[in-house]
Amino acid sequence: MANMNLYSRGDKLFVYINMALIALFTLSTLYPFIYITAVSFSDGSAASAGTVVYKPVATTISAYKYVLSEPLFWTSYVNTFIYTFGGTFVSLLIIIPGAYALSRPQLIGRRFFNLFVAFTMWFNAGLIPFFLNMRDLGLMDSYFGLIIAFACNAFNIILLRNFFEAIPESFEEAARMDGANEFQVLWKVFIPLSKPAIATIILFCMVARWNGFFWAMIVLKDEQKIPLQVYLRQVIATLKDDEEFGLQVLNFSYSVETVTAAIMVCSIIPVLIFYPFIQKYFNKGIMLGGVKE
Amino acid sequence: MSDQHIPTDGRLVRLYDHFKREWQIYVLLLPMIIWFTVFLYKPMYGLQIAFKDYSIFKGIADSPWIGFEHFQTLFGSDQFMRALRNTFMISMLSLCFGFPMPIILALMFNEITNQVFKRTAQTIVYLPHFISTVIIAGIVITAFSPTAGIVNAVLEWFGIEPIYFLIKPEWFRPIFIGSGIWQEAGFSSIVFLAAIAGVNPSLYESAVVDGASRWQMMWKITLPSILPTIIIMLIIRIGNLLEVGFELIIVLYQPATYETADVINTFIYRQGVQGAQYDMAAAAGLFNAVVAFVLVMTANTISKRYSRTSLW
Amino acid sequence: MSGVDLSSIVKKYGAFQVVHGIDLTVAEKEFVVLVGPSGCGKSTTLRMIAGLEEITAGDLTIDGRRMNRIAPKDRDVAMVFQNYALYPHLNVADNMAFGLRIRKMPKAEIKTTIDDVAGILGLTEYLDRRPADLSGGQRQRVAMGRAIVRHPKVFLFDEPLSNLDAKLRTQMRAEIKRLHKRLGVTSIYVTHDQVEAMTLADRIVVMNDGRIEQIGTPMELFNNPANTFVAGFLGSPPMNQVKGVLTAKGAKIGETEIKIDGVTAADVGRAVTVGIRPEHVALKAGKGTSALPIDLDLVEPLGSEALLHARFDNNEMVFKAETHGDIGHLSGVTDIHVDSSLVKLFDGETGQALNLGG
Ligand SMILES: Nc1ncnc2c1ncn2[C@@H]1O[C@H](COP(=O)(O)OP(=O)(O)OP(=O)(O)O)[C@@H](O)[C@H]1O
Ligand SMILES: [Mg+2]
Repeated sequence: MANMNLYSRGDKLFVYINMALIALFTLSTLYPFIYITAVSFSDGSAASAGTVVYKPVATTISAYKYVLSEPLFWTSYVNTFIYTFGGTFVSLLIIIPGAYALSRPQLIGRRFFNLFVAFTMWFNAGLIPFFLNMRDLGLMDSYFGLIIAFACNAFNIILLRNFFEAIPESFEEAARMDGANEFQVLWKVFIPLSKPAIATIILFCMVARWNGFFWAMIVLKDEQKIPLQVYLRQVIATLKDDEEFGLQVLNFSYSVETVTAAIMVCSIIPVLIFYPFIQKYFNKGIMLGGVKE
Repeated sequence: MSDQHIPTDGRLVRLYDHFKREWQIYVLLLPMIIWFTVFLYKPMYGLQIAFKDYSIFKGIADSPWIGFEHFQTLFGSDQFMRALRNTFMISMLSLCFGFPMPIILALMFNEITNQVFKRTAQTIVYLPHFISTVIIAGIVITAFSPTAGIVNAVLEWFGIEPIYFLIKPEWFRPIFIGSGIWQEAGFSSIVFLAAIAGVNPSLYESAVVDGASRWQMMWKITLPSILPTIIIMLIIRIGNLLEVGFELIIVLYQPATYETADVINTFIYRQGVQGAQYDMAAAAGLFNAVVAFVLVMTANTISKRYSRTSLW
Repeated sequence: MSGVDLSSIVKKYGAFQVVHGIDLTVAEKEFVVLVGPSGCGKSTTLRMIAGLEEITAGDLTIDGRRMNRIAPKDRDVAMVFQNYALYPHLNVADNMAFGLRIRKMPKAEIKTTIDDVAGILGLTEYLDRRPADLSGGQRQRVAMGRAIVRHPKVFLFDEPLSNLDAKLRTQMRAEIKRLHKRLGVTSIYVTHDQVEAMTLADRIVVMNDGRIEQIGTPMELFNNPANTFVAGFLGSPPMNQVKGVLTAKGAKIGETEIKIDGVTAADVGRAVTVGIRPEHVALKAGKGTSALPIDLDLVEPLGSEALLHARFDNNEMVFKAETHGDIGHLSGVTDIHVDSSLVKLFDGETGQALNLGG
C-alpha cells in the first residue's frame, strides 16, 4: 500500500502494533514445529521431564536412529508414497475425463449428470454403509481398495469442470475443425490450458492422501500395508496410554516423546519440500473455484 | 415461408448421428459415473439397514425390516444424546471463536507495508493447513503432557500444579478448538485477502485525501467492502455445521473425556466399526446426513437470495 | 468446383427457431459476405456450414456432396474465429501445424507448408513466439495461417476483424482481399460491419431475423435495395425514409411534393415510403430536382463533406453536402434539392421496393 513516510504518527503506531501482533501470531504458528523438532533431538530423559523449550536439551540423534532402524517405519513410509502417488494418479484418471465430459454442452443429460455428481456433496450415506460396501466389494485390506475407494469427490470434479467451462468454446471448435477427436481435444488443448486448475487438484489429492489416516486405519489390517500416519498414530497411542497410567516405558537416550517427535518430523519433511511448489497456486483465487456464479 | 412443411431428419436418426459423432465424450464420462455409482450411490441403497435388523449373514436385502426401532433406541440413549449435544456445542464454539480469526488476520495482513515480512508471515501461517491430523494430535499430546509437555513446564514456572489436560473433560474443547484455529486460521484468511484485493483502490485514495486514519479506513472501507464475502463464508460454514473434525477427536479423546468430546461421528465409529452394531450406527449416520442435508440446502437457498450466487 | 449450396436450411434450438429456411448458392472461388444486425442468425448459418451446429432441416452440399451428417473435420472447410482461438500454450508454428499433425502429415511436408504460408502472411520471424507475445494484427494473421495451411475447399470467417482497432481493421481487410485473389478459395464471411461487406464481397447476403432479405453485388444492393430493411442497412449514413402518398405527378410528403415519373393512375393514393440517400441531394436546384424545405439542426463537418442534420415535416433526416473547405455557408440552408431519378419508393405496408412503370 501507500508509502509509510506519508503516514501520520497515529497511523505509524497502528502499523507497528499490527506488525507486532502478526509477528506474534506467526511465531506461535511456528513454535509447535520448533518445539517438536527440539524434542526429537533431545535426550529421552530430558524430554520426558519437560525441560525442552525451543532448543534440544542434551542433543542426540538416538531417537532418529531408533526410528530409522524400525522396519515398520520404512514400510509405512514407502506405503504412504504408494498411496499418495498411486492414489493421485488414479484420481486424475477419473476426474479429468469426467470433468471434461460434464463441461461439454453437447453432452445429452448434462444437467442430470451434473446433479448426479453434485448431489453427493449435499447428501452421503455416511461412514457405516460406505464401510460395509467396501467390505462387500472385497476391498478391505488392499492397496487397490484404499486407492480406488477414495479416488474421487464431487468438489474436485466441479472445480475442474468450472475451469473447463470457462475455456472459450472456440478452442474446442477450432481443434475439431482441425480434425481432432474428443480425446485429442482434451489431451492437446484442454489439459495444457488448465495447468493451474489441474495443479490445484493434484495438490488437493496429494495432501489428502499424504495426511489421510482414518480410513487407512479402518480398512487395513495388515501392518505391512499401513501408511505412515497410521503407524504414527499407533506410536502416539502408546504415548497416550503412557500418560494415562503415568508410566515411562522406555528408559534409554530416547523416550516415547522423542521417538514420536522424530517420526513427526520425518513425516513433515516431504511436505516442507513440496510446499514452495504448491504455494504459488494459493493466491490464484482457485480456492473458491467450487463457488460458481 | 412456412416452417411446418420442411422435412426434418427423424429424432432417432439424429440421436444415432449424435452418438456416432460424440461417443467419445460418453467414454470419458463413464469411469466417473461408475465410480459414483459404486462408491457413493450403492451405499445409499445400503442405508436401508438403518430400518432393519441387519445381520451380516443375511445381507442387506434379506435382513428383516424393523421400522424406526433404531431411531427410538438412539433417542432414548444417553450416549447418543450426549454426542448430539457435544456436536452442537463444539461446532458452535468453533464457529464463534474460529470464524472471526481469519477475517481479523486478513485485515491485519492487509495493513502490513513491508512485503517481505508479509510474504514470510503468510507462508508460515498457511503451513499448518497441510499438516496431518495425526501430527496435530501428536504435537498436542506432547505439548500438553503432564510430565514432558511444555505447557505444564510453563505452568510450573508460575508455581501452578501440573494439569492432566487430556483426561480433563473441561479442557478438551478449548484444546480442540485452539488447535483448529492454529491449523486453519491462516489458510482460511486467503479467501478474505482475495476479497480485500478486489476493493477499489480509489476508495482508499479519496479517504486519505479526506484525512482518514488507517484504523478508520479498515473499519469504514475494508470491512464493509468484504462483508458480502464474510456473509457467504458464514453461510457455507453454517451449512457444514455438523462437520466437526472428528478425526482429530478420535486421536485425542479417551473414555475420561467422552463426556465433552464424543460427537456423532465418533459415536458412529465406536458403535459401528468397533462395536459392529452396524444397523444402529447407520441410523445415527442417516440422522446426521439428513440434518446436514437440510442445513446445506437452507444455506444455499439463503445465499442465493442474498447474493444470487449459488454455492456450487 | 468447390461451391457451397444451402437449400431451405432451418435451425431450431428446441422449439425456438432462429434460421427460417435459407437458400443460397455460393459459386467456386466466390467471396460471399453475410451481413445483418446482431442476433439475425449469421453465425448460426456459418456454423452449420462448418458442422459446429447441427442442421435442423434442409440440405447443405459442398462440392456436390451432401454434408448434413458429416463431421466438421471431414468437410474440408477451415474457419477463422472472432477471438482467433489460438492455443496459448503453443507457438505460432505449432499453432499452424496443429491440424496438420493431427492429420498425420509427414514432418518435412508440414515444415515446408508452414514456411510457405508464414512467408505469404509475413509471419516468418514470429514462428517461435507464443500468441501472447504478438500484436492483434499478427494474431489475426496466425489465425488465418492456421486455416490456410490446410488448403481447404472453403474458408469460413466469423467476424475476424471485430477485435481490431479501426486502422488495423482497414489494413487487414485489404490483406484478406489480396489473399483471396491470390489463393482463389471459396469464402463465406460474416460481419455486421457494412463497410467490410461492401469492400470485400463479390456478393452480399443481407440477413434479418433468420431470413435472407436480399442477395446481390455490393452496387446492386446499394442502388436497388429490395426493401426498406436493406435500404436502411447499407450506406453510411443510411437512406432517409419518410412516409408519403403517391400522386399523379409523384409523391406527397406532408405538404411537399416530390416529382417522380411513371406513377400510374391505379397507384395514385397508395401509401409509400420514400427513400432518399443522403448523398443524392444538392444545395442548389438543378434539372429534375424537387425542393424540400428543411429546418437545419446541426452541421457536422467531416472534412471535404459535412453532414446536415435537419427536420423535414417531423422527420429527422441526414444529408451530405460538399464543404469546399468551409462550413459557414451551410448554416443558412433552408431548402434541399432532391434528384428525382434517384429517389426510391417502397410499399408503405410491406416495405418492398416499388418498380413504377416496370
Ligand atoms: N445455443 C443456443 N441456444 C438458443 N439460442 C441460441 C443459441 N445460439 C444462438 N442462439 C440464438 O440464435 C440467434 C442467432 O444467433 P447468431 O449467433 O447466429 O447471431 P449473429 O447474427 O451471429 O449475431 P452477432 O452479430 O451478434 O454475432 C440469436 O437470437 C441467439 O440468441
Ligand atoms: Mg455472430
